[in-house]
Amino acid sequence: MTHNATSAPVPVTVIGGFLGAGKTSLVMHWLQQAQGQRIAVLVNDFGELNIDAEWLSARNSDTIALSNGCVCCQIGSDLSQALLRVLDNPAPFDAIVIEASGVSDPWPIAQMALADKRLGLHGVLVVVDVQAVRQHAADPLLHDSLMRQLRSADLLVVNKTDLCSPAEQQDCTAWLQQMLGPVPCVYSQHGRLARAFLQSEWMPEPAVGVGPAHACTPHCSHDHASEHQHHATDHSALFISDCRSPGAVFHTEDLRAQLRQTPAWIMRLKGWVRTHEHGWSEVQFAGRHASVRRARHVPTQARVLTIAQRAQPAAQALASWLDGVFEGREVNV
Amino acid sequence: MRPTSAPITIYVARDILTMNPMQASATHVAVRDGRILGVGDLAELAQWGEYTLDTRFADCVLLPGLIEGHCHLKEGGMWDMEYLGWFDRLNPWGQTVQGLHSMEAVVQRLTEIDQKMQQSGAAPDKPLLAWGFDPIYFGSERMTVEHLDRASTTRPIVIAHANGHLMNVNSPMLRTAEIDEDTEVEGVVKFKEGPRKGQPTGELQEPAAMFLVLRHVGDAGLLSPMDETGMLNFARLANMQGVTTATDLVNTLSEADCAVLESALAKDECCVRILPAFKAFHGTHGATQGAEHVKAMTQRNTDKLRYGLVKMMLDGSIQGFSSRMRWPGHFNGAPNGIWVTAPAQYEADFEIYHRAGLHIHTHTNGDEASLAAIDAIERVLTRAPRPDHRHTLQHAQMVDAPMFRRMASLGLCVNLFANHLWYWGDQHYEMTMGPDRAHRLDACGSALAAGVSLAIHSDAPVTPLGPLFTAWCAANRITPKGRVLGEKERLSVMQALHAITLGAAWTLKMDHEIGSIEAGKRADFCVLRDHPLTLGAGKLKDARVWGTVLGGQAFPAHKA
Repeated sequence: MTHNATSAPVPVTVIGGFLGAGKTSLVMHWLQQAQGQRIAVLVNDFGELNIDAEWLSARNSDTIALSNGCVCCQIGSDLSQALLRVLDNPAPFDAIVIEASGVSDPWPIAQMALADKRLGLHGVLVVVDVQAVRQHAADPLLHDSLMRQLRSADLLVVNKTDLCSPAEQQDCTAWLQQMLGPVPCVYSQHGRLARAFLQSEWMPEPAVGVGPAHACTPHCSHDHASEHQHHATDHSALFISDCRSPGAVFHTEDLRAQLRQTPAWIMRLKGWVRTHEHGWSEVQFAGRHASVRRARHVPTQARVLTIAQRAQPAAQALASWLDGVFEGREVNV
Repeated sequence: MRPTSAPITIYVARDILTMNPMQASATHVAVRDGRILGVGDLAELAQWGEYTLDTRFADCVLLPGLIEGHCHLKEGGMWDMEYLGWFDRLNPWGQTVQGLHSMEAVVQRLTEIDQKMQQSGAAPDKPLLAWGFDPIYFGSERMTVEHLDRASTTRPIVIAHANGHLMNVNSPMLRTAEIDEDTEVEGVVKFKEGPRKGQPTGELQEPAAMFLVLRHVGDAGLLSPMDETGMLNFARLANMQGVTTATDLVNTLSEADCAVLESALAKDECCVRILPAFKAFHGTHGATQGAEHVKAMTQRNTDKLRYGLVKMMLDGSIQGFSSRMRWPGHFNGAPNGIWVTAPAQYEADFEIYHRAGLHIHTHTNGDEASLAAIDAIERVLTRAPRPDHRHTLQHAQMVDAPMFRRMASLGLCVNLFANHLWYWGDQHYEMTMGPDRAHRLDACGSALAAGVSLAIHSDAPVTPLGPLFTAWCAANRITPKGRVLGEKERLSVMQALHAITLGAAWTLKMDHEIGSIEAGKRADFCVLRDHPLTLGAGKLKDARVWGTVLGGQAFPAHKA
């Protein structure tokens, strides 16, 4: 997969999570499983990164280059400067991952990805230590900081499940849902999370007048998996998707209200529809953050692609939920 | 018999307030090799042998050179931008820039600056950068493009707020930065109603929103690195305020930053001693390396530059509603603030720097943060006792008597942010903490009563550098609206002067060298035209400063 000057923005994923939850393990896992993707990781310091000499290509005070094309950068005192250094790299990256500090709210950090056209916010992922999270939440000094962090998550990664019983894992999930409402939740051990959660190939490109618009079908995967078959495998084992072309003209407030009540098993949604307020509008949803805004490009047709977790009773629910949001409205302008 | 290598100068003064309680006052001080040879009367000092009598201070009062235990060199680095604060402020050229008390006054000042820029031939699109604006003094009124566009509809204007978290820009700047109704970055404030509904107001909150602008105007203001010009401006401001020793209480100690410190301080005209504190709020694994770095840097110490301090940080600011407060929290109901460092990580890092033998200064504003620091330090000291560590809580603005008693028993020092009593005292009373806790804000009296070693500070450039003003705040505890906050917490004039001399020296482990006028110490003096004890508490801030003496060399603040 290659990017050129006109290609889509580099997706930025922000990893939050309390001290010791397993953020660094997760980042290390992705770096080692990059499989040809060039990932740039921004971390607070190199201390916890345990990089084997065989992986190491070059190192200076604020950058470690790996032999597989990925890099780790130390954030230092200014995240924006570190991001600019990554963007100025002559060889562009396929994805950027920012590891937030253990006590910070990752959401303001994620805003950085909206502040440069070359970047796109892919989502906020918060790693949770399945055994420690409720204990931390019970500490009056930490409770509000922890909850702020958890509420920022588009996706919760419940980590260290090898250290607890299935019942504990269930309890923890129930507690998270009770505290946070519906938010997508996945489980991992030693931070080993499928890289599909980082990749963004599934995103529909804006069809800016190039050739005939293709007809999308459910499970549409033709435009994202050709280069890396393992991605597709990885991807379809975990997710189901839905692609549709809603013809209606929407009210932005209605759409926003609908997207605020998205079920927990919906991971992401992106597309272009027409609205009364803006004409062609871009619709985005990830985890719990939704936006509807004026489209920067003019698409040739309305298109909405949605990804949901396969492991949930979602196969039928997905289509019917989307029908409720996007269909059955009057189709006129 | 006697070593007579260097010449002796004996200064005569109207009075010498030595701050040495065993010899509180004198008329003469003898100086040799930049150090104090003796203090007393002429007959006593003449016994050292041949001397020159210097009478230039005959009408002046000498104090030990004043010590600012918590400020930042940026105080001297802000002045390539325009000051737009509420309070009058002295610039490095000795002029007082008038404070601005209404949006109208701000607009008018900006209009004048724009006109001056035009007259001086500045490019029409050269940005006008300003600092020091603080909306907390304007009640609910917010600055918007509707104000700033009246100053200029062509020149980009950027106003950095005093708290460092916000800025305001005008429409030309919004256009340059391509910020419009569709900009999604949170923190780009938009009009909620009226004809401009949905359009950006020009207020930008927090780093991501400010980044939209900063990448077009460069790292303006607080973010720009310190350079030698800024250092020399700092030295001028210190000189005008009688300061001979100051901290730079957050410094990366990078090679570039150290090079600026070392080259500037090698110059005589940079007439101040500086103690930079290593920025030790870093990632989870930075402490071991950080401690080694600071220890290695102490090898490069000179008379005027002392490495060795470590700065840690637990919470945010009270007026920014980001400090960590105990029950009952903010008076106006705002949610509790943020941890800059998680308490557990603070404790782990603190222990590493402590075991390395370093001297740690911790920023804690809210009382929950101060308590977390005290608890952590108590556990560290139990595991790793160390005599005379002098670890210091900085700001510690809401510490109460029970916490001070624990601090005393742990050997902790405190450097209280007395300038807050004046600059935000009314806001603390009305908005942030309410009457009771505002009355014990920066509780200097309680600290001394508990036996805690006390310094007081300005945190310049957050508030202006000026220890005599800081002493006035601590001695009067008056607010701009005329409230007295906690009369019983007031310091006497002598206690206040101690806190800006020997008290501050103690918190920096410099009390054997500076902080009082006695034999063997460095010849650092603050030279005053007025006697502080005659002025009394009420007028302490009005004492006129002649200048300073640093290591025996006189530096007049105003060239004759």
